Amino acid sequence: MMRIYKTLLRLYPADYNSQFAAEMLAAFQKAAVENRKRGRAIFVRFAIAEFTGLAAGAASEWIAKLTTDKSVRGRRLPDLRMMRPVGVPRELWFAAAGADLRRRPAPDDVSQLQTRVALLVSRMTEAIARRDHERARALSYQERMKRQNLRLLRQKPAREE
Amino acid sequence: MRHVAIRPLTEPVLLILLSLADRPRHGYALMKDIETLSNGRVRLSTGTLYGALRRLLEDDWIEPFAQEDASREKQAYKLTPVGRKQLELELDRMKQLTRAAGIRLRAKEA
Repeated sequence: MMRIYKTLLRLYPADYNSQFAAEMLAAFQKAAVENRKRGRAIFVRFAIAEFTGLAAGAASEWIAKLTTDKSVRGRRLPDLRMMRPVGVPRELWFAAAGADLRRRPAPDDVSQLQTRVALLVSRMTEAIARRDHERARALSYQERMKRQNLRLLRQKPAREE
Repeated sequence: MRHVAIRPLTEPVLLILLSLADRPRHGYALMKDIETLSNGRVRLSTGTLYGALRRLLEDDWIEPFAQEDASREKQAYKLTPVGRKQLELELDRMKQLTRAAGIRLRAKEA
């Protein structure tokens, strides 16, 4: 009985579950004990009402969650990765977070360099196919330079620490 | 005021607000009290009860009641001033409706 109830509780959105699942389970446990004492027929009726109520409740909670703006209702679990760990001073945590953001290369820069490297490789292949060795050497040099820039950009956070 | 009741309250919501009117209660105590208040006619399932509690918390009609036994399983809730006002408005609406119904019925009999 409890196993079915716990399984059905998983149908609810995670934020709802984190807030109410423990309370709901405790209330259900007490109500189940009491209804069991009233007789088999009443207990079966109680169980059916509980399980159908739970399924309907989960559906309506999902509808409420999906149709409500999260900025209005705040219906999201907190991102634990963004939370300051216990014992770390506030100033230190936010200073480190700020520094990390400054050090990290902009994704646009990396992707632009990757695109440039791919283009140079393509042109170099064409030059080799045409037996234009001089141009192929020049393109090869440019490609090496770009790859080196890309490597430096990716290593940037580690180098500055 | 955050939320003005322009529509009648649903029966579960009315009964929850009524049950919390005299003192804070947790989930199971609410279920029992609602059954007593309605003379055994209304038995809320936990799904219905907590769905309604979630909406009432969001609308600030009720709030968690801080207590010494702060286990998550026995979180009690209490009415906020906004919730009490909504309950009073609903009861006024029902009284007015009952009065009007009484007048109509007496007029029919006369």
